[in-house]
Amino acid sequence: MSYALTTLWHERQRYLTAILAVAFCALLGCVQFGLLLGLFSITSMPVDNSRADIWLGAPKVLGVDLGRPIRESQALARLASHPDIERVEGFLQGFSYWARKDGGQELCMVVGSRLEPGSMGRNTALERYPHLAEALTEPGTVVFDESDKEKLGVTKVGDVAEVAGARVRVVGFVKGAKGLAAPFIFCSLTTARPLLRCFPGQITYALGKVKKNASPEDVVSSLRRQYAPAPPKGEGASGKDMGTLSIQNEAQKEAAEENALGQDSQAELSIFTSAEFSRRTRVHWLTKTKGGFALGYAAVLGLMVGAVVTSQTLYSATASSIKEFAVLKAMGIPRWRVSLHVMTLAAWVGVIGIGVAIPAVFGLAAVAEMWGVQMKLEGWLLVTVSVVTLFMAIGAGLFALRSLRGVEPALLLR
Amino acid sequence: MIQEGTGFNERVWGSDPILQGLDLVRAFGDGGSFSRAVDEVSLEVHRGQFVLMMGPSGSGKSTLLAMLSGLLRPDEGRVICMGEDIWSLNDKEREQFRLDHCGFVFQGYNLFPSLTAREQIELVARWGQGATAAEARAMTDVLLERLNLADRAHLRPAQLSGGEKQRVAIGRALIKAPDILFADEPTSALDWAHGEEVVKMLRELSKDNGTTVVCVTHDHRLVPFADRLVDLEDGRLKRQSYGFHGVTEPASHHPHEPGEINPAIPAKPTLRYRATP
Repeated sequence: MSYALTTLWHERQRYLTAILAVAFCALLGCVQFGLLLGLFSITSMPVDNSRADIWLGAPKVLGVDLGRPIRESQALARLASHPDIERVEGFLQGFSYWARKDGGQELCMVVGSRLEPGSMGRNTALERYPHLAEALTEPGTVVFDESDKEKLGVTKVGDVAEVAGARVRVVGFVKGAKGLAAPFIFCSLTTARPLLRCFPGQITYALGKVKKNASPEDVVSSLRRQYAPAPPKGEGASGKDMGTLSIQNEAQKEAAEENALGQDSQAELSIFTSAEFSRRTRVHWLTKTKGGFALGYAAVLGLMVGAVVTSQTLYSATASSIKEFAVLKAMGIPRWRVSLHVMTLAAWVGVIGIGVAIPAVFGLAAVAEMWGVQMKLEGWLLVTVSVVTLFMAIGAGLFALRSLRGVEPALLLR
Repeated sequence: MIQEGTGFNERVWGSDPILQGLDLVRAFGDGGSFSRAVDEVSLEVHRGQFVLMMGPSGSGKSTLLAMLSGLLRPDEGRVICMGEDIWSLNDKEREQFRLDHCGFVFQGYNLFPSLTAREQIELVARWGQGATAAEARAMTDVLLERLNLADRAHLRPAQLSGGEKQRVAIGRALIKAPDILFADEPTSALDWAHGEEVVKMLRELSKDNGTTVVCVTHDHRLVPFADRLVDLEDGRLKRQSYGFHGVTEPASHHPHEPGEINPAIPAKPTLRYRATP
């Protein structure tokens, strides 16, 4: 065992404060960002809970909940044109208004998809309720998460409400499909069109499933190449909009002009893999709402508190051994070797602190889950927070090195 | 100032001193509080000698030790150690010099509270000499045996007696096999039984290994163990004497010269020396 570890173990009471401070930093970072990711992962839930590999939508679409109507036949044909696409289907999603019985209105997110088993767009939240999927095939029927009942003013199955002026009947409730600001309202494509004021022949997204052994990334790249990128223009020109599928030739332009979707002649469709689209949706809301910055700020403050506590603990621990270090210096042991010892101590404090924090984070996530709050603890998040926390601990060690300035062997002589 | 020069030193110890202090001066304070802790002191120490530097508190003996050992820069004068003018070296070179040639034992044992006796010693071998764990362990085993600490190796300072702690501190200084061991009041925190144990060990070290020991003390019971006494008073060299080492060596090794020392082996260590005229 290294001398640093021996010291840490033997003087564990002294170092406990620093270890807990580091653990607190890591815990704070993981919990805050985990909650944030959990919160915003709700926005990409329709993508994550689908079986589709590829999503094709309106030009420069920012996220799955911000899609605009596109022409169904054109979008599906374009997607189906690729030899590695096995099947395609339409999908509708958009904001609408739910009129409650008491006269109030609620923003809601209508999600319309095919409902047969194995369809790409059917939300996996419906998997456990095959009878509901079947019931939804009746036009004008909807289901939603049971926790949204109160919000939507619905008390029981069979209740009737109005969405965007169209009458709907609630045929059941699901679990695990709670919306962020607007409750998700699941229904068939036929039911969804009037609720989203879409014309027949319009969809919001075309979903594609690639053949076995084909890569969705390759198919997306190929589709983008096949329909060469549009001339530089706006956001697309700057390369920000990775998923832009251009419609270049004249016929296509005309078709685009002719379609009743209100898009300009340079209409470009966006195309993403599911993973890309999911991330794009979450990142959009994360940056748009500045939620990431707010929590990031708090996490940085947590790191600063941790750094100060760790640094001061290491400083006082090192200062208390100053005579022992002075003997070593008298004997010619270089200062860097002693500094390395302090830094090793700091690194171990960091590692142990993180080791304490990670199980605690999972414990808290389980508790949050019981309260219906999702904490998304992705591997990259845990690694990033751990690395940042470890650097903080090592930085605190660097700061504590100033205590070694006082190491003066001559002081040991009486 | 009393200078060497009787010829005795050279005859017994050879002509090449391992350590020389030349006209050393060190002052502290300024204005009204200015005082010369060491005032133009010169001395030579020969290889294998066990030298005691004695004097009352404030006589400058620790300051002199610090200058001789490369820990405290003299205001004036030079220190030549193993042919090297150590105060003309830069800090890094002097640090390396101490690493290569010097060991230290202090009054306070200054042992890391969290490390065992073995680890205290191994640490110097590993950090100072870059020894591997196995090498350091082997070296430490030998030393612990010699220090009669083999069965105490696993104990931490809080579990050791004062004498044992000081022996660990000596082991820490010896692991590098230094040419010169500087000791500052190594027995003053110990009762005589433990103090005697420590001083005998230092004495044996100088005889067996040829390690030069320069020891500052105010404990007169150590005198019979010394080859040489350097007596300081008010920062000046008051007198030097030679030859009390009755415990481990027969007196005939060091001929008695009238007026220098009384070579009789004391039945019990007591202060017995005569100053050079």
